[in-house]
Amino acid sequence: MNVPAASARGVSKHFGATRALDNVDFDVLPGELHALVGENGAGKSTLVRILAGVHRPDRGEIAVGGEVCHFNGPRDAIAAGIIMIPQELRLVPALSVAENLTLGDAPLRRMFGLRVIDRAGMRKEAQEQLAQLNFAPDPDIRVDRLSFAERQLVAIAKALRRQCRVLLLDEPTAALETREIERLFAVLTRMKSQGTAIIYVSHRLDEVVALADRCTVLRDGRVAATSRRGAFKVADLVEAMTGRAVAQADAPTTTAGAVLLEDVTSRPDAIRLRASEVMGLAGLLGSGASHVLRRIFGIGGETIDVRRDGRLEQIASPAAAVRLGIGFVPDERRLGLVMNLSVRDNILLPSLDRLARGGHLDRAKGDRMVRQLMELLDIRPRQAYVPASTLSGGNQQKVIVAKWLAREVGVLLLDEPTQGVDVAAKAQIHALIRDFAKRGGGVLVRSSDLAELALICDGIFAVHGGRITDRLQRSEGFDEKRLHAAIGG
Amino acid sequence: MPPSLQRFNLFGQGPLIALLVLCLVTALLTGRFLSPLNLTNILVQSSIMAVIAIGMTFVIIGGGFDLSVGSSVALAGCIAAMAMVQFGLAAGVLAGIATGIAVGLVNGVIVAKLGINPFISTLGTMVLVRGLVYLITGGAPVGDDRLPTAFLAFGSARLLGIHYLVWVPAVLLVVLSWVMAATPYGRRIYATGGNREAAYLSGVPVDRIIASTYIWCGGLAGLAGVMLAARLQSGQPTAGEYYELTAIAAVILGGASLHGGEGALYKSIIGVFIMVVLGNGLNLLNVDSYWQRVAIGVVIIAAAAADRLRSRH
Repeated sequence: MNVPAASARGVSKHFGATRALDNVDFDVLPGELHALVGENGAGKSTLVRILAGVHRPDRGEIAVGGEVCHFNGPRDAIAAGIIMIPQELRLVPALSVAENLTLGDAPLRRMFGLRVIDRAGMRKEAQEQLAQLNFAPDPDIRVDRLSFAERQLVAIAKALRRQCRVLLLDEPTAALETREIERLFAVLTRMKSQGTAIIYVSHRLDEVVALADRCTVLRDGRVAATSRRGAFKVADLVEAMTGRAVAQADAPTTTAGAVLLEDVTSRPDAIRLRASEVMGLAGLLGSGASHVLRRIFGIGGETIDVRRDGRLEQIASPAAAVRLGIGFVPDERRLGLVMNLSVRDNILLPSLDRLARGGHLDRAKGDRMVRQLMELLDIRPRQAYVPASTLSGGNQQKVIVAKWLAREVGVLLLDEPTQGVDVAAKAQIHALIRDFAKRGGGVLVRSSDLAELALICDGIFAVHGGRITDRLQRSEGFDEKRLHAAIGG
Repeated sequence: MPPSLQRFNLFGQGPLIALLVLCLVTALLTGRFLSPLNLTNILVQSSIMAVIAIGMTFVIIGGGFDLSVGSSVALAGCIAAMAMVQFGLAAGVLAGIATGIAVGLVNGVIVAKLGINPFISTLGTMVLVRGLVYLITGGAPVGDDRLPTAFLAFGSARLLGIHYLVWVPAVLLVVLSWVMAATPYGRRIYATGGNREAAYLSGVPVDRIIASTYIWCGGLAGLAGVMLAARLQSGQPTAGEYYELTAIAAVILGGASLHGGEGALYKSIIGVFIMVVLGNGLNLLNVDSYWQRVAIGVVIIAAAAADRLRSRH
């Protein structure tokens, strides 16, 4: 029997009164990819963070290569060869790609007897690392000029540079699209063959089935099931995670109504959105699909002319867009929430002016709205006064959606709404989008997951080079080939 | 648990507990601490700094920082005294407050619209405004016996046995706490300071909110300048030096975060009391005033360290 590369024995962890992990056993063998799945709040991230030395377990022990370890921080874990790639990337925005990659152990050379950074060597090393991922950005470009998915590739490349015995990946593909995911899988397969142990947290169960040698399902902080490759299917995993079968969102059946929102700047490819319509925006990384959404929400200082419910209006800022009944869910959750404020304050933030009665806020009405929305969206825990930062990713995403439902907007702009969200929450969000449209709202949703767009949209705009290059209707059938061709993939 | 109780947890009341312990220890060490005269003294000594700290709390919760308040206090005091000699009491008071508002407006525009770091912008206005004070006064005090008698009496006059100087921050505290907690405007300040980008994407006019916090801060510094002129019986060009640092220290002692989005007006007032009571106690115990400065510095760092340890869990 192999000695596990890393293992947890009887690990428990509480945060305040919340039990995150309860007596969990978990291990990963050298050269094995062990997937970790579960609903939001099931304890996946906590387990991964304990292994990475971020949290200390209340009870139980961690062993690396068979030896019990006591990590006093991520530094100790890294020294033991455990490298984590977190959901929130730790890159320095103002430094270049090459500088970020080599941060902490940049190649040095001697100049006048002093040790200085070997910039050429640094650049070369960075390019080699990134080439392994089939990613070739300019190594001198600042990291904050890259998209989220590109930054993630940089973070992964950075981890691969280290002496890595166990690689922890927390939702690595949440913001990636097919091409990059394939790239990543190829890298992971190669690392496995070199004996690296990989712990892989993901919400995309099809990935898990395709990739994992073993899979452990966590539910409410306990191990609900562990099984070997071949012994698990997507449906089994879902059932183990939720304890029930998950209903799919209704297929779109609505008929579109009057034009809700129309971009009237003189562009032949202008966006037009009708009532009861869900339109998708599909585009490759860097296609500008996200920019199309952000522009309509008045981000970036550009003033655009729109026709909203038949009236000509101008949108010069998000505040103006909100006044016109438009809501926006950004692709990064930290842009959607004020983390140190309560769930309640976040939900009510766009609606504060509506809650004002004689200058002050109508507390009771606010409480009622928050309670109803938390019930409707199944936001857990059902506590309105905890800081938004304490919620799991999927629940945070629901809070961001709740903000705009509270405001009763007519148009929702969604940027990767189900990114990093588990199957159950994903299905809930899809149902929510359809329901919003059924009640006469219009939705414009960008997603890098074409299957998702095909599932929920009435029509899809293909975006390439910042412009809409094609428009597909559900009635004509979504032709994946044509879609791929239209987005240039 | 009703929400009002749920949100008042003892854990978050470290500064209040520290103040009570400080009072208890001082009272045990010296009998004079609890004398009515001394307690009145503490209130009066705290009053002007409390007004400034309230304004500073607006800025810090909004995610900013204002170094110019000390200079604004001096400019407002001098302009108020000048206007008062010429046009009477009311005109003087209004001129003083308007002066502070003007400085705050400049700060707000520089920080919010031009996007310049608040530390740099307000460092600039701090030096600039102090220069203006010396320019218009020639470095000499303004007013003296030419000031209206009602104004000269204001520094020691009382209502219901309590100094007017103390009533001012007390009323401000009640009214503005309500603004912070119960109006859309107040909640938007917290949201803007907590995460400017997220607030912006929620339709909050973040630039205007940030600018407004500097206007509050400047206006209240102007009011504090008028109060100080009344106590000093003249507009003093050197008044208010280091007030900005004391005010920021008090706000941070009260538990506000320099990252913005956290803090409360009453907590900042507690911070002011901690500094004043500490100074007062050391005075009563005949501790050298140089050592008092050292002690206050230690307390500020200790408070920040305690907060850091607490937030780690």
